[in-house]
Amino acid sequence: METYLQAEALAKHFDGVAAVEDVSFVIHTKEIFGLLGPNGAGKTTTIRMLSTILAPDSGDVRIGGHSAVREGDEVRKRIGVCPQELALYPELSAFDNLVFFGRMNGLPGRAAKARARALLAETGLDDRGGEAVKKYSGGMKRRVNIAIALMNRPKLLFLDEPTVGIDPQSRNKIFETVLGLRDEGTTVLYTTHYMEEADRLCDRIGIMDRGRIIAVGTPAELKRQVGDPGKTTLEEVFLRLTGRSLRD
Amino acid sequence: MGRAFHLARFELKRYFADRADLAFGIALPIVLFAVMTGALGEDAGFRATMHVADLDGGSIAHRILERVEDSEVITVRRYTRDELADALGRTAILTGFVIPPGFSASIDSGIPASIIVEQRGSGGSEGQIVAGAVREASHEAVSAIELRRAVGALTSDSAGDERLDEAVQQLLAEVHIRPLVEVVTEPMHVPEASELDRLLAGIIVMFLLFSATLSARALIAERRSGTLERLVTTQLSPGELFIGKFLAGVGRATVQSFLLLGLAFAVLGVAGPLAFLQCLILALVVAATVTSVGLVVAALARTDEQAAISAVLVTMVMSMFGGTFFPTTGAGWLEVLSRFSLNTYAVDAFMGLFSGTGHLPDQGPELAVLSGVAIAGLAIARTMFRVSSSPLQS
Ligand SMILES: Nc1ncnc2c1ncn2[C@@H]1O[C@H](COP(=O)(O)OP(=O)(O)OP(=O)(O)O)[C@@H](O)[C@H]1O
Ligand SMILES: [Mg+2]
Repeated sequence: METYLQAEALAKHFDGVAAVEDVSFVIHTKEIFGLLGPNGAGKTTTIRMLSTILAPDSGDVRIGGHSAVREGDEVRKRIGVCPQELALYPELSAFDNLVFFGRMNGLPGRAAKARARALLAETGLDDRGGEAVKKYSGGMKRRVNIAIALMNRPKLLFLDEPTVGIDPQSRNKIFETVLGLRDEGTTVLYTTHYMEEADRLCDRIGIMDRGRIIAVGTPAELKRQVGDPGKTTLEEVFLRLTGRSLRD
Repeated sequence: MGRAFHLARFELKRYFADRADLAFGIALPIVLFAVMTGALGEDAGFRATMHVADLDGGSIAHRILERVEDSEVITVRRYTRDELADALGRTAILTGFVIPPGFSASIDSGIPASIIVEQRGSGGSEGQIVAGAVREASHEAVSAIELRRAVGALTSDSAGDERLDEAVQQLLAEVHIRPLVEVVTEPMHVPEASELDRLLAGIIVMFLLFSATLSARALIAERRSGTLERLVTTQLSPGELFIGKFLAGVGRATVQSFLLLGLAFAVLGVAGPLAFLQCLILALVVAATVTSVGLVVAALARTDEQAAISAVLVTMVMSMFGGTFFPTTGAGWLEVLSRFSLNTYAVDAFMGLFSGTGHLPDQGPELAVLSGVAIAGLAIARTMFRVSSSPLQS
């Protein structure tokens, strides 16, 4: 199996407090890799380092053969990032948001518009794509947030909790999109707090706690560590590995 | 570079989508203009006032003023010579009329006399309308005298019909060529630019600076909302991002000043089209300066409050000491302080052009200071610029 992303001993401290420590893992080409962990585990900080937003204190990341630390430009050509918080321009339409980020990713005007229209249709927003985003429902905003990350047809897609606070319809639409992308050859890093969601979508899962990766494997492999994979849920695995105490 | 331009275009689109921003940056100064000109400038409405110093006090002067007032749209307001000069000096009025001593007596004895019109610049449209009305009233008022003179000439000279016709023709021709009352316009020599000019320039510069520094808040909001971070994961380079933001700021301030200057020139008749063109070029330089000051605020401020307070502080201090509300020249320590306010340079340069006598190249020192601030600000902002408010962002 081909490796698309390789994180090597990543570390990041904020004001002397470790947010991420010695994180190493690989993501294979065309797989959906789930990164799970309690609040504050360091998932978002890890994604920010992988996507060239944050420079790690130490360690390196290779994406498609390029170092995220030293060859940020090359890496940025290959990635799409859907951040945990909605990162949209609310006063403008979904279409304008999409075209803008497409152009910032180097798409010519006409191509950006065509791609934006296709993605609006794909995410079920075509009839309201011209309206200001601030008028959208939570689910619609989430879908725009994801669509922006797809404008440049990334080889590697980061989805940081893309399904927070939305209804089952929107959620299923997002699942379909993600699975479709994988089938088209996109590699995906996916974080979520919904265990059944991870179980259903992810080919492999890494569990993070207190800034470290504490387990990696397919859902079945992880379940086997705890008990009978046929009877155990991913939630039981998660609670067994990370404990029951509150984090924040 | 194409991306930087596209970013700038997008920013402008966002700006025009934000009604509160538009209201603040464009509508508010327009309202201020209106209030100011109402207080300082001409009376509003269809009524006009003839501001007159009647130094003659004779019967013909009296008759002319009566006729002017009969027109119902014009009110006659009387001044002493000194009061009139003072009102003109303060730009409280743009046109004043002086009826010189001996005016009535002169006309009575058949010697033409003049009513003198003193005006600032073109005198404003009101002044021109009143001058026209005065001219007409004068001709009406003296036509009776002309007739009496003609009749007098007839009765004293008992000549035949031919002589009579000849005399009348001659008189009429004379009246036509040299009317008994002439309204002569004397453009005033204005030694100092007016208070209104100062306020206009001051308000424009103050609002440009205010808008530019307050827009730092938009950048803070972008940091917080994550769109700035998102931009970092695209192929837009930090340099392009920076240039795009700068261009957008300059574009915005230019649109703003174009509207405000256009209004000042069109409605208040500040000066001619050449001065307007030069003002626009100056506005471009001022736009670059205030934008880079705004970017410095955006680069240094960490929170929305910090940005808002900095914007208000920078704008208020700079405007206060920058000759916006009162002149700072010859005011000792105030003049020294004013040299540290970039508004001083911008306001001085605008006033020079507003007076209609100045030329842009004459504002060389001011332009140099403004450009210097623009470049220095840009350099400072560029080095201090951070995408995320977290201290450890790359
Ligand atoms: N910019 C920052 N400045 C200071 N501390 C930070 C910053 N970003 C993250 N942290 C801290 O680093 C730790 C990891 O945060 P991170 O956001 O990566 O967690 P997470 O796993 O994504 O959590 P969640 O599931 O709640 O999103 C937390 O303790 C957080 O408070
Ligand atoms: Mg997170």
